[in-house]
Amino acid sequence: MALVTLEGVGKTFRGRTGAWEAVRDFSLELAEGEFFCLLGTSGCGKTTVLNMLAGFEAPTAGRILLDGKPVRGPGADRGVVFQGHDSLYDWLTARDNIAFGLRLRGMAKAERRAVADRFLTMVGLTGQGAKHPSELSGGMKQRIQIARALANDPRILLMDEPFGALDAMTRAVLQNELSDIWAKSGKTVLFITHDIEEAVALSTRVGVMKRGPGGTLKAVVPVDLPFPRERTSDGFMQTFRQVHALIHEEIHPHE
Amino acid sequence: MNSRAATIGGYIAGFALLFLIWHLAALYLVRSVLFPSPFPVFERAVVLIEDGLLQEAVIASMRRILQGFLLGSALGIPIGLALGSFRPVRLLLEPWTEFFRFIPAVAMITVAVIWFGIGEESKIFLIAYTTVFVVIIATAAGVGAVGRDKIRAAQCLGASKFQLFALVALPATVPYILTGMRLAMANAFVTIVAAELVASNDGLGKMLWDARLFMQVEDIFVALIALGLLGFATDRAFRLLIRAFAGRFNPTM
Repeated sequence: MALVTLEGVGKTFRGRTGAWEAVRDFSLELAEGEFFCLLGTSGCGKTTVLNMLAGFEAPTAGRILLDGKPVRGPGADRGVVFQGHDSLYDWLTARDNIAFGLRLRGMAKAERRAVADRFLTMVGLTGQGAKHPSELSGGMKQRIQIARALANDPRILLMDEPFGALDAMTRAVLQNELSDIWAKSGKTVLFITHDIEEAVALSTRVGVMKRGPGGTLKAVVPVDLPFPRERTSDGFMQTFRQVHALIHEEIHPHE
Repeated sequence: MNSRAATIGGYIAGFALLFLIWHLAALYLVRSVLFPSPFPVFERAVVLIEDGLLQEAVIASMRRILQGFLLGSALGIPIGLALGSFRPVRLLLEPWTEFFRFIPAVAMITVAVIWFGIGEESKIFLIAYTTVFVVIIATAAGVGAVGRDKIRAAQCLGASKFQLFALVALPATVPYILTGMRLAMANAFVTIVAAELVASNDGLGKMLWDARLFMQVEDIFVALIALGLLGFATDRAFRLLIRAFAGRFNPTM
């Protein structure tokens, strides 16, 4: 059985200016342990798909299942890494941010501290646990977010363009680290991006979305390349071109 | 150079400059018995301190300010939190806050005296009154300004509604609450002087009023300087407290 099933999912927002169909008839199954990148142009509805799976927004059509059970609202079984670092708690240290989910569950202080330190090391921030978010760089903050989501041991990790606001070099470093973390943790990941190279570098499958409004899944491209991925290899280039062609039609539809 | 030393040095230099300008203005510009230069005022201050009169007035005023301020904050914070958290409460109470905050505490002195007399109660009522609405509005605004992703992150870490409030919304609102309290403290100084001018047996406002009656210009200046220094010191103390207890909350002050 698939870990996550989206069946004919649609989302129409209704506001004062009328209705806006963000997602239409979106169907996808995610298997346990895969790294799925959802790739699309801005406004195609990819973030809406993630928000519905996270439970932040309810679909207006179709249904979403996790482990065969319908998703109703947010829950600890779906960890989310947000695009901005505004989701970190400024008044807590990096360690306490990571341990936040454990604290919610009532884990003893010493125990959750040990867990947090293990995840600090996992994201390459050993010894930085006593710092507050305001003392950390953008890349470090995203590492804390990833550690916070993983420390809570969710069934799936949902990442909404987590490296979108970082500079190119930091982004490349974090992509490689995320790849390692994914390999070690064996977590299922749904990763939203508009960066083709990022998608090909990280994922086991890339889903390309049609442009919005009413964005839907256009094609799914499997990426059968060994890790760590060599970005200048022929296989990488070939997959890149394949995905690029799919996306290009969405950016320039009338060529 | 140490930034703390620079700050303190700046304050000292700033105050010294102020007193120098005052001195020069009194000596060469105004030359009137109605505008004393700093030195007679200091001499008078020393006399008032030796007689214990200045301390008495300062303590009387500060006690009222603190009592009213704490009462107003103790009422304002929970009301503001409720107002910011629950839509029905906001719809119900917002007309109150929007109505009363335009009736200045100074205008309420008359009813305060009628209700509570000229004793401590009327002053504490007025300070609490002037504090409570500022704190309510700042607190409610803070609750409304909690980042959406902070709430969502907690939700998908498994937070209950109570945990969302206690562990996310409340700490995220602290800087706003403190900013509101700091503004309210400034209001409290305005209010206490006005209240003591009109109806009181002691305090700095009373001292100002008596000095006017007996044309003791130096006493007026002593009271004015005392007010300025007290306000300045209180505000600094508040900022230090905020830094010590809530520096990590990134207060915008």
